[in-house]
Amino acid sequence: MRSETQNLNHLKQGDCTVNLTVNGEQKILQVQPWVSLLDGLRDHLNLTGTKKGCDHGQCGACTIICDDKRILSCLTLAVMKNGSEITTVEGIAHGNELHPIQQAFIDHDAFQCGYCTPGQLCSAIGLIKEGKAQTREEVKELMSGNLCRCGANIGIIDAIMEVKAGGGHE
Amino acid sequence: MNNFEYKQAEDIATAINLISEQDNTKFLAGGTNLLDLWKYNLTNPSGLVDINRIHGLAEIKELSNGGVRLGANFKNADTAYHPIIENKYPLLSKAILAGASAQIRNMASNGGNLLQRTRCYYFYDPDVPCNKRNPGSGCPAKEGYNRIHAILGTSDHCIAVFPSDMCVALAALNALVNVEGAEGKRTIAFADFHRLPGDRPDLDNNLKPGELITSIDLPDKGFAQNYSYLKLRDRHSYAFALVSVATALELDGEMIKDARIALGGVAHKPWRSTEAENFLRGKSANESNFAAAADIILQDAKGYGHNDFKIALAKKAIIRNGLMALNPQSQLPGAKPSA
Amino acid sequence: MEDSNKSIGKGINRIDGILKITGKATYATDYPAKNMAYAVLFKSTIAAGKIKSIESTEAQKYPGVIKIITHENILPLNTKGGLRGGALLQSPEVTFHGQHIGIVVAETFEQATAAAHLITVEYNQKEEKIDFDNLAKTPEMPKGKELADLVRGAGKSALADAEVKIEASYETPIEHHHPMEPHATVAVWEGDQLTLYNGSQIINGAQTAAAATLNIKPEQVRIISPFIGGGFGSKGGQWANLVLTAVAAKMVGRPVKLALTRQQMFNSVGLRQRNIQQLSIGATKEGKLLTLAHETISHTAVDSEYIEPCGDCTKVMYEVPNSLISYRVVPMNLILPTYTRGPGKSTGSFALESAMDELAYTLKMDPIELRIKNEPAKDTSNGKPWSSRTTVKCLQEGAKAFGWAKRKPEPGTNKIGDDLIGYGVACGTYPARQRDSSAVIKLSLKNKVVYATIEIAASDLGTGTNTILAQTAADGLGLPVKQINVKLGDSDLPPAAGSVGSVGASSFANAVNDACIKITDELLAKSGKQFFVRPTAAQLMISEYIADFQTRSDSKAPAEAEKYSAHSFNANFAEVRVNSVTGMVKVTRFLAVTGAGKILNPKTARSQIIGGIVWGIGMALTEESIIDPRYGNFATRSFADYHVPTNLDIGDLDAMFINEKDFIPNKMGVKGIGEVGIVGVAAAVANAVFNATGKRVRSLPITPDKLL
Repeated sequence: MRSETQNLNHLKQGDCTVNLTVNGEQKILQVQPWVSLLDGLRDHLNLTGTKKGCDHGQCGACTIICDDKRILSCLTLAVMKNGSEITTVEGIAHGNELHPIQQAFIDHDAFQCGYCTPGQLCSAIGLIKEGKAQTREEVKELMSGNLCRCGANIGIIDAIMEVKAGGGHE
Repeated sequence: MNNFEYKQAEDIATAINLISEQDNTKFLAGGTNLLDLWKYNLTNPSGLVDINRIHGLAEIKELSNGGVRLGANFKNADTAYHPIIENKYPLLSKAILAGASAQIRNMASNGGNLLQRTRCYYFYDPDVPCNKRNPGSGCPAKEGYNRIHAILGTSDHCIAVFPSDMCVALAALNALVNVEGAEGKRTIAFADFHRLPGDRPDLDNNLKPGELITSIDLPDKGFAQNYSYLKLRDRHSYAFALVSVATALELDGEMIKDARIALGGVAHKPWRSTEAENFLRGKSANESNFAAAADIILQDAKGYGHNDFKIALAKKAIIRNGLMALNPQSQLPGAKPSA
Repeated sequence: MEDSNKSIGKGINRIDGILKITGKATYATDYPAKNMAYAVLFKSTIAAGKIKSIESTEAQKYPGVIKIITHENILPLNTKGGLRGGALLQSPEVTFHGQHIGIVVAETFEQATAAAHLITVEYNQKEEKIDFDNLAKTPEMPKGKELADLVRGAGKSALADAEVKIEASYETPIEHHHPMEPHATVAVWEGDQLTLYNGSQIINGAQTAAAATLNIKPEQVRIISPFIGGGFGSKGGQWANLVLTAVAAKMVGRPVKLALTRQQMFNSVGLRQRNIQQLSIGATKEGKLLTLAHETISHTAVDSEYIEPCGDCTKVMYEVPNSLISYRVVPMNLILPTYTRGPGKSTGSFALESAMDELAYTLKMDPIELRIKNEPAKDTSNGKPWSSRTTVKCLQEGAKAFGWAKRKPEPGTNKIGDDLIGYGVACGTYPARQRDSSAVIKLSLKNKVVYATIEIAASDLGTGTNTILAQTAADGLGLPVKQINVKLGDSDLPPAAGSVGSVGASSFANAVNDACIKITDELLAKSGKQFFVRPTAAQLMISEYIADFQTRSDSKAPAEAEKYSAHSFNANFAEVRVNSVTGMVKVTRFLAVTGAGKILNPKTARSQIIGGIVWGIGMALTEESIIDPRYGNFATRSFADYHVPTNLDIGDLDAMFINEKDFIPNKMGVKGIGEVGIVGVAAAVANAVFNATGKRVRSLPITPDKLL
């Protein structure tokens, strides 16, 4: 069995304090500078809704909303985002009231295994907020940073088109 | 791998000082390529200087000469969607939107876009030789799987391509790169910024150690009437170019007054051919002249087996993009190839 | 209430959807454990040889490192315990590039990763067998008896007499499953009891393989896998990473989390192997098939054999008096290939259905007509009658819905601007089977409301198992779906088949249905009353004031099923646009018409079929893993190089189901859809590309360069 001091070894490696507002709550992360925002959320704040699919910015599963923009949490160091406001899949509903995109994902069966879904949802919210995609093809193009290996693509795009058409929502 | 020191710089001078204090310290902007490489253990900075909070680098502003200055920290997506860029430099907007994904464009900085490393399979594999990663170790791509590799400007030492889309447009637009280092400020013409591999493929560009890109200047001439960016790839989105072409034309009726053609996915830098552009000047903007220009551009093109097809593909792309530039409305979002 | 009380057959929303869209669905690495340590694997950088030495002094000293485990210090494991792919660190032998050769366990993921980079390994390298292009010239006979040459009639020799012949070779590349969730495990020991949080398509299979490999009893191992981030076959059989996590946890005396990296996914959890398929068809001028030969050359691991059965569709698709199905194989220093969505049938149908299209073109016959003309009355491979066969219906209904009549038979004649338009058709099939499964139903009465809990060690990897079992129980018990709680994905539950080979829905749903019948019977008996109309279990619970009641059913396929050949069938219709200048292909429309018996939930079933189409489009156009034989490793090793279709690659896809009632294969008439959805898709796309361009691409994927 290892001693307590050995267990704390990692803390010697230059921890940084990172202040974040995550899903509306103030959080303080004590992490080494090389901890990605993704691992910070998952391993340190136990917000495991955000997923690691490739860890290299090639699948979109780790997409979160940071200061109103969709970004990849795997290619971001947590320390870079000190003072930022972050929304993850756990924070997109308002209490028990689902975000319209969440309901639309259920209605359109826009997922199967569900692993890419948190990233798809955050990306969709980012896309709608950006307001750059008008046509179905444009939505597809601007959602192409989120891979779905189950092939739920049609449902994903249908869901976004429906919410866009509904308008008004963020 | 993990032992880097992380520091934030609030101003340019501090950033440059921090870099020069320690060997192997790197600027950190968007992080989209640097952190990718670092996680693969392909780069091992001893320190990262986060430049994201430097005041004044994340701006876009109009210059008195009629041009526009893009701050180095201004994001790719913000650039592409900025009204000035959309209206005056739509070619740049198109090219940016053809690259990466919406999320990455939200993160990636304009300065960082210029500093992307190649996507060569062998560069990305630390267990095999690569002259770019490990000078003198050899280039496995030449006799290997080189489907995505260069056909122009290659050397015996390296056949990697530079992967940016944005830079292809910047090359066509004759952008200028403003840099600052310990020895002061200087401006580098875009054509001189990136370099061919020669016998130093480890060097992607002509930045001096410790120099920071502060901004990119776009000259007045934006070719907003006749332009097109065409990107051909193995899937319709979120893939690096097999071949891409940025074409900008200034027309007088059917006659070409000025022409710019830059190619991506074919060389170690965005590829321009003054000879081809000179040839087009004064000629009719038609298929046969674009074909002749393509032949000039590709006269020294050389395939390495798996990428032989790129020569024919590049020719077709140059012609097609020339025709598309005559009617920019024929372009679809994300630089999709067909109308 | 709607007029029909039945839930089965209704396209209700997934009952677990709410968890998935709120981030509350728990996948393997989402499980916290107190005092968790993090492990990463390090891997061989040669394809064949022996480890001479592992230098890990620097890594040992790295902050936070707890233990480095290699073949020199690992606990002994049973290498024949049922895990796939070897790589259990039991010897210094290396048989493929990227084989696991060690584990670093540290306090944090980042420390383990960094320390692993400090380790250097020396090898005695052997010459590796990896160059398939060369090795395929001298292949071997496979060891598996089911892969022996299958000759009917005069076999291939009948080709000589045929009026019309098609002889062509088709190639499909190595593909990777790449579920979005990389394989990952959290291992927690409590004394001699081991809990493994691990995405598993076959819960009990993972349990027994882990136990056998660890030399402990199955009762000592619990697999928890309520959510699986995709699998597609790669999480069917389990791989070394499962048990290596358990060993690491044992050796450091703490819970351990180990997730493969995306790059490690290329050589850790199987792959779909490269196949060279020679198709030879002999036919009359009228289009009657005389002979059909399907000869496949493929590769396997050097120490273990898996070959996907590319000839399976060819065995059963057409009426033909003479045929040959054969396999040859090349052992290579590469990870063991494994079941990959539609194993054999997807790739095999690309060859068969492309060749049929070539025959139709040669005969100047409509490809649908050609297929119908050669429709077999019974399963020619075994002489058994079909339980039912829907191929012709799929073709005819699909042709009508898709607008097949608009197809121009002559290639290259349908043009809009620079785009060439083409239509293609291809058929597919997959066997329908029911496997042994048990289910427990627990009923309880609270405030006059009956609630049911269904317990079964089934799995749901996005297939919709949770939902269809709730629907099955709802109908079987007389309850609304919302009063039913489905518990699956846990080896402590009654044993069940896996979500593999399209047996999941039929096996699980029949088990639950049988349990519903049984519990109703038992409640009736308990009541001691006679009823004119058989009451539901829910009604009995209320009328008899029973607070709690439960039963278990152990279900098997009906004995009668063996006498028939039972399959799902489909017909696939593709419309492509090929840019005549750039060679880029887009599948603009696709329709799959499927006869798969009773469709339990049309919504989730449609998603399954459409997912299969997307996979087929990837197979047809974008997916390929390339080996560099000089290094014995993949040159393409990331999602930037391995092109999974993006949202923009997907056009208008649609799925229709034939209303088929076939209760021979199982009581509920369920045939399975997970696999058949991909079968025939790549061929339909390739045939459409031919119709558009006149270019017959026989080597997948159809990338732009092949159409220049």
